[in-house]
Amino acid sequence: MSEPFSSPTTGRAPSGAESPSIPVPPDQLSQLIKGVAAKDRSAFAALYEATAPKLLGTIIRILNNRGWAEEVVHDTYIKIWRKADQFDASKASAMTWMITIARNGAIDELRKQPANRKAPEDELEQLASKEPNAQSQVEDQQTVNQLNLCLEELEKDRRDMVRLAYLNGWSRADLATHFDQPVNTVKTWLHRALKQLKGCLTS
Amino acid sequence: MTDRDDLDMLAAEFVLGTLDARERATVAARRKSESDLDEMITAWEQRLTTLTDEVMPVTPAPELYQRIEQHIDALDTPRAGANTDSDDKSNVIALHKRLRRWQWSTALASAAAMVLVAVLAFQPAPEQGPQSFVAVFQQNDQQPAFMLSVDLTNRQMQIRPVTAEPMQGKSYQMWIKADSLGPNPRSLGVLNDNLKLERAALRDYDPELLKEATFGISVEPEGGSPTGQPTGPAIHGYLYPIADEGSQPSH
Repeated sequence: MSEPFSSPTTGRAPSGAESPSIPVPPDQLSQLIKGVAAKDRSAFAALYEATAPKLLGTIIRILNNRGWAEEVVHDTYIKIWRKADQFDASKASAMTWMITIARNGAIDELRKQPANRKAPEDELEQLASKEPNAQSQVEDQQTVNQLNLCLEELEKDRRDMVRLAYLNGWSRADLATHFDQPVNTVKTWLHRALKQLKGCLTS
Repeated sequence: MTDRDDLDMLAAEFVLGTLDARERATVAARRKSESDLDEMITAWEQRLTTLTDEVMPVTPAPELYQRIEQHIDALDTPRAGANTDSDDKSNVIALHKRLRRWQWSTALASAAAMVLVAVLAFQPAPEQGPQSFVAVFQQNDQQPAFMLSVDLTNRQMQIRPVTAEPMQGKSYQMWIKADSLGPNPRSLGVLNDNLKLERAALRDYDPELLKEATFGISVEPEGGSPTGQPTGPAIHGYLYPIADEGSQPSH
């Protein structure tokens, strides 16, 4: 099949190296977003520098296509520029707000053009070799620990489903194929897992 | 299971990402008018976002930030000529618009723009800001597949193949997508055998919309998409302003 526009990331050297993760204090990020709301370009540049690698990493994991992922990062920062005045630090952390915009953009794109994603072979290994970060960029450490504890309480298959969906952008149909279950069963499992998570996090 | 539980699961799956495109669009529209759904979605975002802690950061290509800045420059520039019917309202606004139009024409020299503000204030505004834009469609990091140039003044466009070549039994189709056009791309037409499209293909679109739009080119069965939506692999591009030397203030 001739697909001149498909661009698998495997085998292509990324044009940027992986950067060390330098957590920026959440307060500082919130301040930068306030600056962006006031159309301050230097705040925008600082916010981009502090957060773009994390957003690109998040989107690449979903789309598995670097060129496509950078387009979604582009869209994400245009949205951040336009919607910064809607950011409410009392409702969400700065990172949560930005990651949400980035993930929504990536998943919308992926659901519209699923054929553009090439599943990497090591996707499941990547999932298995997960190590919790020493320091969270997204939420305070207590929140992170609690989510990890609650995930551990799920059955392994359901935990994998939640993470493959959230982190790697798998659809119900992708999950159904991989776990060899009807789509409706996957939906039921997902709902049980999500309810159990919610119950655990609330307790 | 109560309706409220159902709604919470809809919110959860929206955040998890497992809904299909149509369901996602429906939920995104509903949350605007249903505050309980909106709150449920926000709560799920809070619950799940820490999952991204394990994601390794990846440094973007250095050009990406420049492209974003250029896009913002274009967004923040009022439509050329838009102040003609509001000139009488306020000199301050008119001057502001004139200045911003000028800044746009020299988007890459914004530092210099700050210095020259005082001088510019006494210059007549150029009749027309630069209205030439270009979009590059890349199929990988190295080679552009197509280039699109657009003149917003008369809404003329020209698509030019760079590395793309005609394919046996397939057609290239061009699309436009913008927030104000709804969630789905609209067809601008199928490229002919020479990989060209009629120059007036953008005539129905407002220049402001064009500045914000995403353009896409997809590979379709011969003659174009049978469904009215892109069915094959697609590449995308945005319009970037080209500084128009001819319309810059000469001082």
